[in-house]
This record gives sequence, structure tokens and C-alpha cells, in this order.
Amino acid sequence: MTEVLASRSFRGPAADEAIEAVHNDLDSLWLDAPFVQDIDQMTFTTAVIESASNIVQHAEPAGQEPVELGMDIIVQPALLQARVSAYHAKSPYEPMEPATQSEDAESGRGLALIQALVTTLTFERQDSTNTWVLTRSPQHG
Amino acid sequence: MEFSYEVKDSYAEVKADGRLNLVSAARLREFVTGVIASGSKRIVVNLENTAFMDSSGLGALIGCLKAARQAGGDLRIAAVQPQVKMVLQLTSMDKVLTAYGTAEEAFSND
Repeated sequence: MTEVLASRSFRGPAADEAIEAVHNDLDSLWLDAPFVQDIDQMTFTTAVIESASNIVQHAEPAGQEPVELGMDIIVQPALLQARVSAYHAKSPYEPMEPATQSEDAESGRGLALIQALVTTLTFERQDSTNTWVLTRSPQHG
Repeated sequence: MEFSYEVKDSYAEVKADGRLNLVSAARLREFVTGVIASGSKRIVVNLENTAFMDSSGLGALIGCLKAARQAGGDLRIAAVQPQVKMVLQLTSMDKVLTAYGTAEEAFSND
């Protein structure tokens, strides 16, 4: 199994506080993984925060329990991977296609931005959990 | 995120220090709308201490730009840091929100 050099996990109510908590986790993760280049830290952080924000903004509860946000991120020698989950959530009904935005639109750029920042983006749904799996192959140098 | 502003000779400089994200986007919009309402139509948002911006933050900046233009003025950004520059470029919004090196430069040729 490929060695995990650093990792962070978070789970909590899908609310504004979770965005800041996840961002703080990412900042501290990079302190444990200083060999990851600035450009990779910057792009991956942006992609993870975009995904988490999307859940906080749009995920709807599937039943009585409120939606929770989860994040599991690992740093491997040749891979950054984040699993960003919405627990107790309905399946997202909107198509997973980035919308084309007019210049003055104030929303709707998140998915296109995530796709530009990561190497792969996949979606999984199991029980009442939606998980977006983001990977990035870091640069070496 | 902390907001502050200072009225200069020909513009008002808004400083936004911290993370411009889903949490702070609405507050930036409110803050800048307030500055415009107080009579400053030409706004420079100084992003020197904005270490992070996501698409929510970008949306708020675009909203502020529209508000300034509707009031007959304009909004420009200055001292953009690498992560913010990356988001502007990847969304092609660097063509709409022109970045200036410093707040002083933003309206210097008008």
C-alpha cells in the first residue's frame, strides 16, 4: 500500500463554521507536508474549499437528520486525495456539468473551477452520502 | 475576514483582510454597498491581505463591481496575491476585474 505522509479528517454540521474548520485543517496539513509545492497546496486547497462550500450551500437533507460535511484528505508521495462528503443528504439533482457563465454572473463558477484545479474529480453515492473524490498529481521539482 | 475603508482624494479604498469565502462573501457585499451608499462611487478593493478567494468571494466582488457601476462609478482591485490571481485567471474574470499593483495606481489614469 502506498505510504500516507500526512492526513486530516473532519466531520461536522454542514454550516459556515465547517468551511473555516476545513480550511484551518488544510493549512495545518501543509505544515506537515512542506515537500508539497506551493502551487499544489494552493490549487488543492481551493478545490477542497470549493467542494465543501458547495455542500454547505446546496446539500439538502434526505430525512430528519441535518446534513453533515465530511472531509478526508491524504498526502501520498505522488498523489493528493480528498474525499469531501455530504452525509444524510439527498442525491444532487442538478447535472454535474459546469455551467457557462456570463461575465457578470455572481454564482455558478464553482464546478468549472474545481475541474480546472484537480487531476480527477469523481462522484460516489452510497446510502445517503454524496462523496466527491478529488485528486491531484503534485508537481515535482 | 476584517473589512475597513478609507476615503482618498478620488476613490475609497476598501481593505479585505483574511479569507474571502462563502462565509465572508455576503459581508463584503454589504460593506462595499455601504461605502457606495455613503457617497464613494469609485472603489478600490485592496486585496494585499486577502490570502484566499473562492468562487463565492469572486461572485461578491462581481456584485460589488455591478453596484459601483450602477451608481455611476467603478470598482477596481489591487495588490492581488497568487491564489486570488489564479482564481481570476482560471475563471477568465481577470479581464473583467483588472488588477492593479497598488491601490494608488487603480484610478491614477482617470
